[in-house]
Amino acid sequence: MNTPFRLRQVRTIAQLELKRVFFSRRSFWVYLLALLPAVIFIGHGIDVKVRQSRSASRTVSREILASIQLGDTPESVIERAGEPIDDHQWNWKEQNREVAHRRMMYFDGQDRVNLHFQDGLLASKRQSPLINAEEDRKVFAGVFQYFYLRLAIFFGCLGIFMNLFRGEMLDKTLHFWFLAPARRETLLAGKYLAGLAASIVVFTGGVALCFAAMLWPQSAADTQAYWQGPGPAHLFAYLAAAALACIGYGSVFLAAGMLLRNPIVPAVVLLLWEGINGFLPAILKKLSVLYYVQALCPVPPPLDASAPPLARLLLTPSEPPPAAVAAIGLLALTALVLWSASRAVRKLEINYGAES
Amino acid sequence: MAVYKRGYQRYQGPLTSRTARLLVLPWFAWRRLFEQRLLIVLLIVSLFWPLACAVFIYLANHSELWAGLDREVSGLLEINGRFFLTFMNVQAVLAVVLAAFAGPSLVAPDLANNALPLYFSRPLSRTGYALARMAVLAGLLSPVTWIPGLLLFAMQAGMAGWTWLASYWTLAIGLFAGFLFLILQLALVSLTCSAYVKWRAIAGALILAFFFVLAGVAETIDGVLRVTWGAFVNPLRMMYRLWCELLGVAPPENPGLAGSIVMLLVLALILVWVLSRKLRPVEVVS
Amino acid sequence: MRTPEIVFDEVSKFYGEVLGVNRVTLNIPPGITSLVGPNGSGKTTLMNLMAGLIHPDRGTITVRGLSPKDPERLMRVTGYATQYDAAPRGATGFDFVSTGLMLYGYSRVEAAERAWKALDQVSLTGAANRKVAAYSKGMRQRVRLAHAFAHDPEVLVLDEPLNGLDPLVRAETIALFRGWAAEGRHVILSSHVLDEVDVISDQVILIANGMIIAEGQIRNVRDEIHEHPSQFIIRSPGAARIASMLFELDHVTQVKLQDDRLGLLVMTRNRQEFSRALTRIALGGCGIESVIAADENVDALYEYLIGGSR
Repeated sequence: MNTPFRLRQVRTIAQLELKRVFFSRRSFWVYLLALLPAVIFIGHGIDVKVRQSRSASRTVSREILASIQLGDTPESVIERAGEPIDDHQWNWKEQNREVAHRRMMYFDGQDRVNLHFQDGLLASKRQSPLINAEEDRKVFAGVFQYFYLRLAIFFGCLGIFMNLFRGEMLDKTLHFWFLAPARRETLLAGKYLAGLAASIVVFTGGVALCFAAMLWPQSAADTQAYWQGPGPAHLFAYLAAAALACIGYGSVFLAAGMLLRNPIVPAVVLLLWEGINGFLPAILKKLSVLYYVQALCPVPPPLDASAPPLARLLLTPSEPPPAAVAAIGLLALTALVLWSASRAVRKLEINYGAES
Repeated sequence: MAVYKRGYQRYQGPLTSRTARLLVLPWFAWRRLFEQRLLIVLLIVSLFWPLACAVFIYLANHSELWAGLDREVSGLLEINGRFFLTFMNVQAVLAVVLAAFAGPSLVAPDLANNALPLYFSRPLSRTGYALARMAVLAGLLSPVTWIPGLLLFAMQAGMAGWTWLASYWTLAIGLFAGFLFLILQLALVSLTCSAYVKWRAIAGALILAFFFVLAGVAETIDGVLRVTWGAFVNPLRMMYRLWCELLGVAPPENPGLAGSIVMLLVLALILVWVLSRKLRPVEVVS
Repeated sequence: MRTPEIVFDEVSKFYGEVLGVNRVTLNIPPGITSLVGPNGSGKTTLMNLMAGLIHPDRGTITVRGLSPKDPERLMRVTGYATQYDAAPRGATGFDFVSTGLMLYGYSRVEAAERAWKALDQVSLTGAANRKVAAYSKGMRQRVRLAHAFAHDPEVLVLDEPLNGLDPLVRAETIALFRGWAAEGRHVILSSHVLDEVDVISDQVILIANGMIIAEGQIRNVRDEIHEHPSQFIIRSPGAARIASMLFELDHVTQVKLQDDRLGLLVMTRNRQEFSRALTRIALGGCGIESVIAADENVDALYEYLIGGSR
């Protein structure tokens, strides 16, 4: 038995496992997790496109909109600018007095102009683009860091990689692999690669689709500028971060699936560990997947100012290492976890009676 | 024609009541659950926060201990609806973890080992079975939710006197009802997840994912679409809204009360539907 | 050069505080060897140890000179049909056998050819493309068997392989076992169907409470148990007279005259002495029509050796 033969075995095992991981009904939930943000971004895109088409038919020149001043009446505004795209009126009781409010919206071909009248006089005038590319990128960064890294990839990898060994124990089929003429380490490598290939394809695919959905409603000029500027580097960084997260979480959950019967324990401990990473001493920070992966994220995520102080502290990324150090650090961490997993798999016994 | 001696006589003695029979399942489940050391540890950890709250109530009712503090700080020591809301929030998170730990062993092993036909071949209906399983979680979660909550309320009432009780007696009802709704929600989610995946081990992760991922989805919807109705897919957020109403605390702008109640009911109906589809005494070939 | 035996040397295995097997020392030659014992006696534990699915807490095991800790080499020469009913989710009978073969390094075509051949040998070609999960108990048994021998191993370890098989398939399967044994392979099987074990086994290993209580050919095992009285049935027209003569002998513990007064059931503690005494009686003029050993089968041995521990 030589190395090329073992590599062929790894490939065969990975191929057999891949079919199960990709096409089983259980994988449906992983696909859903990976694609859900893209669906929401597509929804946002459709909403923007609909608004754009509605507004485009009722464009008002910038000069007319610039002539509108605070203190103008709604009637004088309508006389100059015509009927607004949106027009809402309501009354609100303020300091024992009924105040009449009216909000009107115009479009100058690029920006929305919101006019707020109180008691029949223009009280405020705000101009904002129909779609803010910069803001969307920040939102995407938030979705990537908070949803993908902390939830989707975390739970997705939990499902995929736990299934590889613990799932087979529960199905009472692991002996099928153990009775093959392959070293346990070969089996581990084959299964890990299968899980990795599946999770990377699903999650980087989901992130890429989400990225595309985020760019879709933006103007051609904005998109072109982004692609000629930091766009490709951003996309590469997001995809690399997603792939590295799969590599890191995958190894941890693969090992946990062999060492522990109940995945709740590693899931809760890891969720907590990753959550409090920012508070940990420097040496312990390095034992976290998020610590490395967040370092690769190109755009800092927005933090909700209204969030409680504790939540803000937990969500604030700890001081990141340089990108190259982060990638190497995560790979080293993964190698360490996989090495301990290979020790565990050698000792693993078939004892289905203990499972249920 | 052969005439056989009719020797068979069915049991004529007394039978236990229907409720007592239903409780056979929880008793057995509790015994097994409490054999797990980790569960005991979790239960003990879950009582730290009520203990801290009890200390807080003690301090709040001994003005001589904080006489030197300025008005703003001493204002924080007031025991009111917001205090109990904070207590409920923390205990709710611990209840979710407990449910994720204990919930999966309710139905998944019965389905995985094809034991349902054995249950349903006895005088036990599917509804009875589901209720008995939910009673297991209710029994487990009560000591970390409404029981310590009412004890804290009683402690505060005892220390603060009738004036406080007359003003805040509705808090006890709100606290009990609020936790009851939470237990019902957790029990339904746990039972459904447990029945859906059949695997004890994976069901726990699914219960955790259910609450955490839906919270993430809610935030994503709000962030991407620039709306505030995303909270309607976050069951714990809607429960929080309901608690605000029950405890008379100023609620957040979103989600609205009526919408939260409707969405919680819709969620419960979906869970019951999935559960009724999964709880069948049949073996599925896969 | 590899030794042709399967050797257990002082092997012990515990599941927590529960005893699996205790200080097992065995030397199993090629041929059909049956592991016999009541439920929970340790038969499956022994088989799992042999295949490396579990590891001994103490002692060493070699299978034809190979260690179960080295599955890469061991499983090339070993095929194990376990008691576990499940096959990988969604797998058909053909998938189950052929994917197993691909892990041996066979090409897809070669694996398919071998899989069809193995399935044919267990009469399962007709159902090969159906899901294993939908198979009957007997069909699952046969597909597991096909999976175990499809790669043509030297050692076959079969956990209760005759369970659930109908009489026809059972006979064909036993013929397969005999064929393999005749080729010099190891066929290790466990069974509760003692009559079959009696008929097909070259040797038996009796196990109870995790300990080996007897091993060898059934007749030899029987011979070694001197303290247990042997039973013989003697048919003779002068049965009553023979009975009175046998009563005089020290090693004869019981004589029963049958109702027809033509037969005797004799229990003796010494087979050799009894044999010599019978010769003397026959030479003395008492006509003896037949002498049959009444308990020289596995049932009797099983009952005597491990009956109390069931």
